[in-house]
Amino acid sequence: MKRFFILAAILILFMLIVPTYLEACPGCKNLDDPINKGFNWSILFMMAMPFTVFGLVGGTVYLHYRRANRKPTDQETM
Amino acid sequence: MAQNNTGVHERPPLSNARLAVLVLLGAETMLFSGLIGAFLVFRVGNVTWPPPSHIGIELPRLVTGINTALLLLSGYTMFQAHRAIQGDRAKQLRRWLLITGVLGLLFLGIQGSEWVQLIGKGLTLQSGVYGGIFYVLIGCHALHVLTAVIWLLVVYGLAVAGRFSAEHYVGVDTCTIYWVFVVALWPILYVLVYLL
Repeated sequence: MKRFFILAAILILFMLIVPTYLEACPGCKNLDDPINKGFNWSILFMMAMPFTVFGLVGGTVYLHYRRANRKPTDQETM
Repeated sequence: MAQNNTGVHERPPLSNARLAVLVLLGAETMLFSGLIGAFLVFRVGNVTWPPPSHIGIELPRLVTGINTALLLLSGYTMFQAHRAIQGDRAKQLRRWLLITGVLGLLFLGIQGSEWVQLIGKGLTLQSGVYGGIFYVLIGCHALHVLTAVIWLLVVYGLAVAGRFSAEHYVGVDTCTIYWVFVVALWPILYVLVYLL
């Protein structure tokens, strides 16, 4: 375990020292170029979609359960 | 059905069928996101759109606009069908389902005739990026409309057989969710592919 942490620390140190700078997105270097701009919009759009989908499905399930909990059961009303 | 502490069976607030359709639609949304993402790369990446190789090929904006209105109208009629069964009006349910199905088939028919004309003008799947992304994106949606129409016909058959009531209408419910998804997706595709 100790050896693993030492190796991980050396690796992180190596990664921090060696490159002058890092860019996560290969298509976003120059946004004046239309194709890079296209990739950029596409990435932003697709990045937003999982949150939208989970938000909508989760929101629908949550609303159904909340509505069901609000409604008094037949036995309570009797 | 779950059983509460008084021994009475309770229905879950969200039926399994409804939840399954929601999960299916989540997956469908991701599929269309990927396709729209690819379209955005080509559309924003090309300064001239359609590309120079396809100049002279005009997409039928007006006819598709009218077709969009037809599909939106089918969304309204499907909503009315859903309301009809909630009110236990089986006859109205059948009528609204039939109108919705006819509107869906009309949409597909107009779309098909447009495709024949575009292929005649030289816009094919192999003619380049423009044709490829157009047919894949619009074709994928058309396939979904076709699926929705088949589903609707099955639901109509069940409605004729008297299988739905104000208490049991999960078949109509799930079909409505799917139909609304297909209808709501189309204006986004229309604006992106035909108008931008």
